[in-house]
Amino acid sequence: MTELTPQAPKRSESVPFWRDIRMLGILAQIAFLIAVILGFLWLARNVTQNMSTLGGSQFLCRDGTSNFRCAFDFLQLESQFAISETLIRYDPSDSYARALLVGALNTVKVAALGIILATILGTLTGIARLSSNWLIRSVARWYVDIIRNTPLLLQLFFLFFAVILAFPAIREAIQLFGLPIYLSQRGIDLPWLVRMPSFSAWLMYIVAGIALAAVVWWWIGRREQEWERDVNRPVWVLGTFLAVALLGWFLVSVTAADNQALLTPEGSGITELADIRLAVGDELGLENLGEIDEALADGSLSQEQLDAATVTVCVVKGDHAETNLAAEFRRANVPFAMKRGNNMTKTVAAYTAGDCDLMAASTAALSAELPAINESLPSAMVPVPEVPLRLSIPRIEGLNFVGGIKLSPNFAAILIGLTIYTGAFIAEIVRAGIQSVAKGQTEAARALGLSESQRLRLVVLPQALRVIIPPLTSQYLNLTKNSSLAIAVGYPDLWSVAFTTLNQSGRVIQVFLLVMGTYLVFSLVISFFLNWYNRRVALVER
Amino acid sequence: MTTLYQNFQTFLRGDTGQFSWQEFFREQVFRSWWFVLWLAILSFILFRVVAGQLAVSPFMTAAIVLIWVASVMATAVGNVLHRHTPYTHWLSNNLYNSVSSALISLLLVILIVAGVRGFIGWAFIRASFTPDSVLAAQNLSQWENPGANWGAVVNNFRNLMVFRFPRSEDWRLWFLILWNVVLLVPTTYVYSREVYRRSRIRRVLTGLWLITPIIAFIMLVGFGTDGPIPRINPDIAWGGLLLTLIAAVFGILASFPLGLMLALGRRSKIMGVPVWLTWLIIAPLTVYLLVTQTVPGLRSAMGLGQQVLSFWPLLLPVAAFLFLRYFQGNVVALMSTIYIECVRGVPLITILFMSIIMFPIFLPPGMQVLGTWRVLAAVTFFAAAYLAENVRGGLQSIPKGQFEAADALGLSTPRKYGLIVLPQALRAVIPAIVGQFIGLFKDTTLVETVGLIEFLGVANLISAQPNWLGVRREPYVFIAIVYFMGNFIMAAYSRRLERRLGVGER
Repeated sequence: MTELTPQAPKRSESVPFWRDIRMLGILAQIAFLIAVILGFLWLARNVTQNMSTLGGSQFLCRDGTSNFRCAFDFLQLESQFAISETLIRYDPSDSYARALLVGALNTVKVAALGIILATILGTLTGIARLSSNWLIRSVARWYVDIIRNTPLLLQLFFLFFAVILAFPAIREAIQLFGLPIYLSQRGIDLPWLVRMPSFSAWLMYIVAGIALAAVVWWWIGRREQEWERDVNRPVWVLGTFLAVALLGWFLVSVTAADNQALLTPEGSGITELADIRLAVGDELGLENLGEIDEALADGSLSQEQLDAATVTVCVVKGDHAETNLAAEFRRANVPFAMKRGNNMTKTVAAYTAGDCDLMAASTAALSAELPAINESLPSAMVPVPEVPLRLSIPRIEGLNFVGGIKLSPNFAAILIGLTIYTGAFIAEIVRAGIQSVAKGQTEAARALGLSESQRLRLVVLPQALRVIIPPLTSQYLNLTKNSSLAIAVGYPDLWSVAFTTLNQSGRVIQVFLLVMGTYLVFSLVISFFLNWYNRRVALVER
Repeated sequence: MTTLYQNFQTFLRGDTGQFSWQEFFREQVFRSWWFVLWLAILSFILFRVVAGQLAVSPFMTAAIVLIWVASVMATAVGNVLHRHTPYTHWLSNNLYNSVSSALISLLLVILIVAGVRGFIGWAFIRASFTPDSVLAAQNLSQWENPGANWGAVVNNFRNLMVFRFPRSEDWRLWFLILWNVVLLVPTTYVYSREVYRRSRIRRVLTGLWLITPIIAFIMLVGFGTDGPIPRINPDIAWGGLLLTLIAAVFGILASFPLGLMLALGRRSKIMGVPVWLTWLIIAPLTVYLLVTQTVPGLRSAMGLGQQVLSFWPLLLPVAAFLFLRYFQGNVVALMSTIYIECVRGVPLITILFMSIIMFPIFLPPGMQVLGTWRVLAAVTFFAAAYLAENVRGGLQSIPKGQFEAADALGLSTPRKYGLIVLPQALRAVIPAIVGQFIGLFKDTTLVETVGLIEFLGVANLISAQPNWLGVRREPYVFIAIVYFMGNFIMAAYSRRLERRLGVGER
């Protein structure tokens, strides 16, 4: 037989070790490891040499010795610097650790609010970029292009110096769209809901409402197919919750009707709140107190008359009675001014001295003080209705706004800047996500007779979310890291406080380790949550 | 297609065909309760805005509203008759799709016109362009609502561009600009044509581009004190837009090799340290450290915190276990991953400050590095981590078959990566890299916080000059325009490049 297959060439079985891939791999590893370790040793030698010239102050222990173990002991020292905005109580005699905690909480506040607002703005803009209206599309496109192509720091500086600090003084504050939102150079003042003492009672009704709504949701889901009728489940669920919440509101208001009270001098003849309104109306000569502004403008009412007729009320600083009574007077259009005393004793003294017409506080506190007050100024108690939540609207008193919530210029600048900047990037991500859903899906949904909102909710959005979530994660991380630019606009976030700590304590390496570790932890937490959500919406492959 | 005149004639004749008012209202207005509410809110807002604008500028607003009414009527007629002129067809599809769309269009047009008029009034009509600050103040004081004081920008133009670059050495900057422009023009021609692929002119141009960084270094830094190109101190001389460009270009160029190595390192599959070897090293080391460090540490510990901290050697076996499990003992992958994740997880501003403050600590005592180089190094390290992730994405997009085919052909690893893998990978990530360059160009503004005066820093300084005290908006607007134009052009070029290279097409 002829050999059809050629002879296999003879060669040795083993490969020489300098050409063996596995051996080369191990040698490369060892060489790399040696290089890295040598590098670290060189750095460590430099650091220790420089430390010895820096002095032992970097690792000072409490007993005066210097040791690596005491690296983080400086955190217990007094910080001796003030922080302008804090979420928790802080003063310069607190430790560095507490200062850094305040900074971290501020960063969390900016990042959380920024993420929520930026997502809303970005989603709306992304959908607007796909609108059928050419104007809406163009406006969205210009917004996204301009914001994405200019640096964030420039936008922050522009917002802070050229916009917010350029707002007028408090007296001429801009009112946005006629709503009670005031823009002044001291910041932005918004109306805010304030919790009254009866809020905790109402909270129980809220929780019960949510539970009942969940039960209704489940029950309708079960029975939908039996009924063979279109039941609008969200409306029923929302209705149940609102019904229970409103019921709770009225019940709590009724039971809390006597929680707050006014003290009026006995000769004034005021037995209920409505009397105050009538009294002021009589003094001003106006039937309807809502026309005070027009009367002032006409000239039929002079500023002195108004000032004389203004009801002054003594309250304790920070008491709920102030917000409660302010809301009641605002509803009745009664002009009023508040005189705040530092504590109950001072307030009572001011009232009995005749500094103000009325005094407001909780019924319990007033009843306790009433016997003592009656000796100098006989007074009667007028109940003031209380509701679980009061709307507190900012108004000018002297040189400040009182009431409502105040966003400092620094916080407003960093929050609005981050929202606008990240919102533009999120808009592009949302647009790409929606466009990634095949057109056939839309056509099939329309062929099935789904309405536009059903099409978006049930067909497009679930598929678009798969494409949106990963880049959205990185944008949220970018927002959290960009919040460190708050130092440029003066908002005391983690980096700003850490930089001050670094300068004051001189412990460079420790502070950097702490700060970078904290930012890493924030990044990990956000990635973790979004990766969990991503896995839930990800495509389940065969 | 018809004309407007024909449409109106038909409409007035009554030939409207099948049009039912009931159906129109049901579809356009009373679609649902929420929709009615939305239309009511929209109408209310529109009414308030129109009323407000009528008070401010009656003629323009009235003109806009009249044009709107006329065009809506024409479009409506066209819709009813199902015959459109080209204009009403476009209007019906783009502006007046529905009742709410028509209302929104009017609202947006009024707001946009008001905004544009306001901006033009501020930036051009009531503005002063003279660089003389006294004259500018006079010009602006005659307006009740003064406009922009562009004199601040005009007067400080040199500052904005090169800040404190010595005037006597200006020729070096002009030379560099000329070099780049002269190289750029033939490059765009030669590089985009297939016929020049292997030609000598392309190789010459490539060589010239490769020595451009060296030329740039010589021109910008110089050498020696007496020669034709004396040394200048970057800390003092570099500023303004010059520093921004230097930082961005240096960042991208220098981060490329490092980022590439990190990406390849993270994906490396070379055989790692074997399990037995790892534990052979770690276990005795842990025991040794426990005995020598923990026990005396516990004894001299002050408080629970220090007692817990003194157990730090126990972290070594934990780290070894995680190392073996997640990196298969591969040290290169471990180091690359740690570097990339740590650098990507912290803000750039912390890395900049860290490099400025901690550089001297990590260098041998006595060795001084200028602040500018420290900042450039920090920018490079930062950009390298992001570049590594982009390149890794590109490497992951290459099908495994390419690697296997290269191995089957017997290509060595350097050849495999150089000829097969990296060309494909880099082509796939070019859009991401251009995006990163745009991002880096914007991020160079952060060096302003560490004391280097670049473009944005000069803008901040302008408002502190006694001549232009408090002038803030104008420099910011100028800088925003420059950044916008630069980034826009780069993004447009990147889109063109993508199309030409066929990114996304196999």
